[in-house]
Amino acid sequence: MLSRLVVPLTAILSLCHGFSEHGTELPSPPSVWFEAEFFQHILHWTPIPNQSKSTYYEVALLEYGREPWRDIPSCRRALESSCDLTTATLDLYHNNGYRAKVRAVDGSRHSNWTSTQSRFSVDEVTLTVESVKLEMQEGSILGTIQPPRPQMAPEGNTYEKIFRHFRQYEIAIRKVPGNLTFIIKKVRHENFSLPASGEVGKFCVMVKPSVISRTNKGTWSEEQCIVLSKQYFTVTNLSIFTSVLLLCGALAYCLALQLYLRHRRKLPSVLVFKKPSPIIPVSQLPYPEMQDTIHSLIEEAFPKVSPELRNSDLHGSTDSGFGSAKPSLQTEELQFLLPAPQPQACGALGKGVPTELQDSCSNGSHSSTDSGICLQVLNYGPGPGPTWEQQVEKASQGQDDSGIGLVHNSEGQPGDAQSGSTLGPVSLPRPEVLEEEDPAEVAFPGYLKQTRCTGEKAAAAGCLEEEAHLTGDLGPQFRTYPDAEADWPPPALAKGYVKQDPPGVTVAPSGSPTGQWNQLPEEGPFLDLTSCGDLGTSDWSFIHDLAPLDCVAASGGLLGSFDSDMVALPLISSLYSSE
Amino acid sequence: MKVQRVSLWLLGAMLILCSVRTHPLRRCWISMDMRHVEESFQEIKRAIQTRDNFHNVTILSTLGALQSIKPLDVCCVTKNLLAFYVDRVFKDHQEPNPQILRKISSIANSFLYMQRTLQQCQVQRQCRCSQEATNATKIIHDNYDQLEVQSAAIKSLGELNVFLAWIDKNHQETSAA
Repeated sequence: MLSRLVVPLTAILSLCHGFSEHGTELPSPPSVWFEAEFFQHILHWTPIPNQSKSTYYEVALLEYGREPWRDIPSCRRALESSCDLTTATLDLYHNNGYRAKVRAVDGSRHSNWTSTQSRFSVDEVTLTVESVKLEMQEGSILGTIQPPRPQMAPEGNTYEKIFRHFRQYEIAIRKVPGNLTFIIKKVRHENFSLPASGEVGKFCVMVKPSVISRTNKGTWSEEQCIVLSKQYFTVTNLSIFTSVLLLCGALAYCLALQLYLRHRRKLPSVLVFKKPSPIIPVSQLPYPEMQDTIHSLIEEAFPKVSPELRNSDLHGSTDSGFGSAKPSLQTEELQFLLPAPQPQACGALGKGVPTELQDSCSNGSHSSTDSGICLQVLNYGPGPGPTWEQQVEKASQGQDDSGIGLVHNSEGQPGDAQSGSTLGPVSLPRPEVLEEEDPAEVAFPGYLKQTRCTGEKAAAAGCLEEEAHLTGDLGPQFRTYPDAEADWPPPALAKGYVKQDPPGVTVAPSGSPTGQWNQLPEEGPFLDLTSCGDLGTSDWSFIHDLAPLDCVAASGGLLGSFDSDMVALPLISSLYSSE
Repeated sequence: MKVQRVSLWLLGAMLILCSVRTHPLRRCWISMDMRHVEESFQEIKRAIQTRDNFHNVTILSTLGALQSIKPLDVCCVTKNLLAFYVDRVFKDHQEPNPQILRKISSIANSFLYMQRTLQQCQVQRQCRCSQEATNATKIIHDNYDQLEVQSAAIKSLGELNVFLAWIDKNHQETSAA
């Protein structure tokens, strides 16, 4: 009996079961949860088993602490297992949270509600980064992190405002070829720099955000890669390069300036003179017997004399040598031509002179660089006037003198005239002068050539002593001796320029000067002789004490010191006055 | 001149001291790391909040964004709420799960530490309670009393995240600033 009832009972039970199943609600979704990012709140649920095509799900939302459940109609779509509830949960970051529930509906049937297990609050938002920008700058990678900027976010709800403090980002760097090493660095700001000096290659960077004071989880961003290459033209390199260039330029400029200044210090070649040799007493000059010594003396003396005279006021400034201008002796080198060693006799001297003179003159001219004229003393005696003239001409041509011709001397006026004419550069009307003046006065303004021997010895001595060195010309002073006497004693030889005395002073050549001359060598140093007038010291150094004018003025005295018969001095003065 | 300078220096020093002294009067900081507490809560949050079935009732309603507590009242409200949790919630809750119980215990210990910090402020009379702060605390107590004890306790535990977020906001802003 019971066994018979079991079968129908089971059938009935099964029927009842099926009936009840049919009558019961649909199965509720097994689980419901939120998956949220910054202002992107999506509700997920697992679909019910055996769902049909017409099964859809209803979603209800409740704000924690506020009463009614809100139905979300936008989520009512078939066969969907998720729904975006961002617009309904905009207050998520300011309130206590939300609860959501889901149920399945199929036709008239609906399932039970399945709600989220925990309240949906800020803690459940997963932090993300929108983008990372990388750029290369001076050997380091500069990165800029862009936080999420969702469109749904209302005004004022930015990532930085909601998570105001303790934002942190983890940066992972890896080198592409290696594909191994990950370097993780934590930064607290949206801008970061990674030192990569000297690194070359492709580097990829990932960023994971987090908030230190919160338990929110973060996700790694997409990889951003940058290729590093060697940079030579960085700002620092360029700045260093330009600074080095500027320094080198400044150094070069200073060096050039120094060199230029040094070079400038060198005197022009024209003004370079030879070192003067020791002075030789003048006393030896005019004596025929002392010709040799005189010559040597003169040669040695004059160089020294000239500078001293330069210092003195004896002669004027830098004029061409005429007049009372002081000589401006730029150098110490004297140029003078000594008459060649002359024979004892004037006549002989005259003969020999020209050649010797020529030689000496030429030699002197070669060796000196002054602007003076190489004057060659010619004997007034029977000397070859023309020869002398030629020599003088040569000498004058050879040197860049001031253009004044030297007074020569030749034998008397006619010779003078000739010589005057031959001397090309001579600008003075020599012949005229000669004619005008006393025959004894041969000199033209400026330079008096010391030609004579004997009679002129005194004058020569005086002339030598005076040493009228005119501008740039260190030639010895010359005096022209009046060629009144044809048989003058051996001519004085000093060649040079002697300032001319006023014509009033005439030296009467006579034998007395000879005697005087004879005395000269005995006196010793030339300096004694040159003691102009009352200046008398027996030293060369005294020379610069000589005032040219005084000397000239005291020519009489000077002459008197040697011999009152000195002729040149008055001649000089006369020349000056004539001019 | 020297006397003037000295007097100026003294004034400046006094002002500095006063500012230093008055600054703590307004704020009393909980200078501990809340992160440990928050992490502990996150682990038990789901288990506890699931048990809360009264969704339309909130106990810590006065801590919401709409009702912001004034900065001067922060110290008082913090002190009162800490007392609320330690004296009522943790004592009323019966937790069967030992793992959850462990987390709850760590949270409770942290709250005790915070209470000690705030008591020092109170001794220095830097944590005065205004009427508004007292009213806010009273509302919370009333909400708690409306529910059954177990449910209220569970609900209060479930709302710990609200309380911790509120502490972060009020105590961090000033410290970070």
